[in-house]
Amino acid sequence: MSASNTPLIQVRDVVIGIPHKRRPTLTIVNKANFDINYGEMVGIVGESGSGKTMICRTMIGTLERRGGKILSGDVLFEGESLARASESDWKKLRGKSIGYVPQSALAGPNPVLTIEAQLAEALRNTGDTKNIKSRSKELLELVKIRRVDTVLKQYPYQLSGGMRQRVMIACALATSPKLLIADEPTTGLDVTVQSQIMDLLKEIRSTMGTAIVLISHDLALIDEVCDRVVVMHAGATVEVGSVKELVKPRHPYTIALNSSRIDIAQPGSELVTIKGNAPSVGEWNPGCRFADRCSIVQADCRTGEHPELIGASGTHQTACIHTELLERI
Amino acid sequence: MADFLLEAKNVSVTFGSGSTKVEAVKNVSLTLRAGEPIGIVGESGSGKSTLARVLAGLQVPTEGEILFNGESVYKGSKAYTGEARRQVQMVFQDPYGSLNPQLTGLNAVAEAVRIHDKTSKELSEERALQLLRRMGIAELDAIKKPRQLSGGQRQRVSVARALSASPTVLLADEPTSAIDQSAQAQLLNLFRGLLDEGLAIVLVSHDLGVIRYLTKRVYVMKDGVFVESGVTEEIFNDPREEYTKLLLASIPGDLGVAARQKLNKS
Repeated sequence: MSASNTPLIQVRDVVIGIPHKRRPTLTIVNKANFDINYGEMVGIVGESGSGKTMICRTMIGTLERRGGKILSGDVLFEGESLARASESDWKKLRGKSIGYVPQSALAGPNPVLTIEAQLAEALRNTGDTKNIKSRSKELLELVKIRRVDTVLKQYPYQLSGGMRQRVMIACALATSPKLLIADEPTTGLDVTVQSQIMDLLKEIRSTMGTAIVLISHDLALIDEVCDRVVVMHAGATVEVGSVKELVKPRHPYTIALNSSRIDIAQPGSELVTIKGNAPSVGEWNPGCRFADRCSIVQADCRTGEHPELIGASGTHQTACIHTELLERI
Repeated sequence: MADFLLEAKNVSVTFGSGSTKVEAVKNVSLTLRAGEPIGIVGESGSGKSTLARVLAGLQVPTEGEILFNGESVYKGSKAYTGEARRQVQMVFQDPYGSLNPQLTGLNAVAEAVRIHDKTSKELSEERALQLLRRMGIAELDAIKKPRQLSGGQRQRVSVARALSASPTVLLADEPTSAIDQSAQAQLLNLFRGLLDEGLAIVLVSHDLGVIRYLTKRVYVMKDGVFVESGVTEEIFNDPREEYTKLLLASIPGDLGVAARQKLNKS
């Protein structure tokens, strides 16, 4: 497959539900639409429960394990369907073409294995079992860990949070994946460590050409490191655009998110908050699911399906059907 | 009347002994005036939470003393006796861990009201509802258990519970680190309202954005000592210590960009 025009990942009209034996299936994502290009750094932002982690699970094939299911739509990796991929297909993809750095760096590594053993496991996955030791060292050097020989013999509990997250990134990079998914990789870490991890991700992107998906609820962070942003609210993508385009958001939710940012607020001034809470899964009203929290809501916002993204993929897309009213906000 | 509402004088806290001895806080002094918002900022392991616990009366300092209204807080193993007890209240980092999972928000707050005011069940519930409403928790959500609430709502229930004692000082240890951005904005707006009403707030955080927004003075802590302290705005605009400069440069977004440019120049 050539890397010409096809995006690396295409998320197309994805609907995710949790089937239940007795109760009706609970829909948790409806619908997600976005692309990830080769070597691109994309941020996915949204409140807790907006479906960002679920979307990631479709890209690493761990959705079904958690009881979820793609009900319709598809996720294409280099044009191949991931929704229909079997477990044996996944064995060729997961940890090989697609790497994953979990949310909790503290719980991520296996506590009873030395760092060396964890890296060896990841490296054997590549099929090439030669020179494991020297390749482990290279990986640790790649993620800028000092005293490599000491660290190899250590257990996760002996490392700081930032070091553990570096080890997780090293494991994910063992197979030189085309895509690296980082799910809130710096939650719970200090700002200084966070900025080091972000520098590392940027460097990996530029030296290895790895596409990176960064999930976060910190808009300032995404602004700084990503090329494009995918905004999710209550299980739907509501806005997609480049970081530059998102300076002028075209969805009321993104506008509200942007203005609740603490880093640009005047100290002591009233912070803009988003009215109400995100609608809980299973309590979605017809029409736009942001309607109850929106300041420019119109009667037609509350009917029919949740609006789809308007505009072609690759352009600045919004799911707001009343963008003409945005100036009032 | 003492000059300061709350004061830490040469406080040290040491855990363990011998080769496992850890000096978490080393000889730090801090002052807080009535109605003042101050911040303690530092990375994990800097000792800021230990210091907050000392201020709250939860950790006996190894050396030094804490004064509340000029009176020593720790008397033997006891802390905050008498009227002082209710005046200093604390909100913890993890709202899920600090609320009883069996109690609804209403019951959790009403219980605290009953303990502090020694009133009847009806009166305490009424007051609890008032407090919760002020924190933006409607009656419908007040009768939910913690697991049914969002992180931001849980944290606001914790704050309502702390306010049930009508404190004059609120100690908040990383109150916004476990909740997302819009919930954070909501909580900070509420904190600002409390400041307007004369409450003093000690905000412990590693989030410099939050510190800058809410506090007037800040103490920068590293390895158990204050490396820099002063007016928040001045420290953000003109940090003296290398460590503070590094902290500021690490903030993502516009705030950090300015600090990074300065750091590169020097």
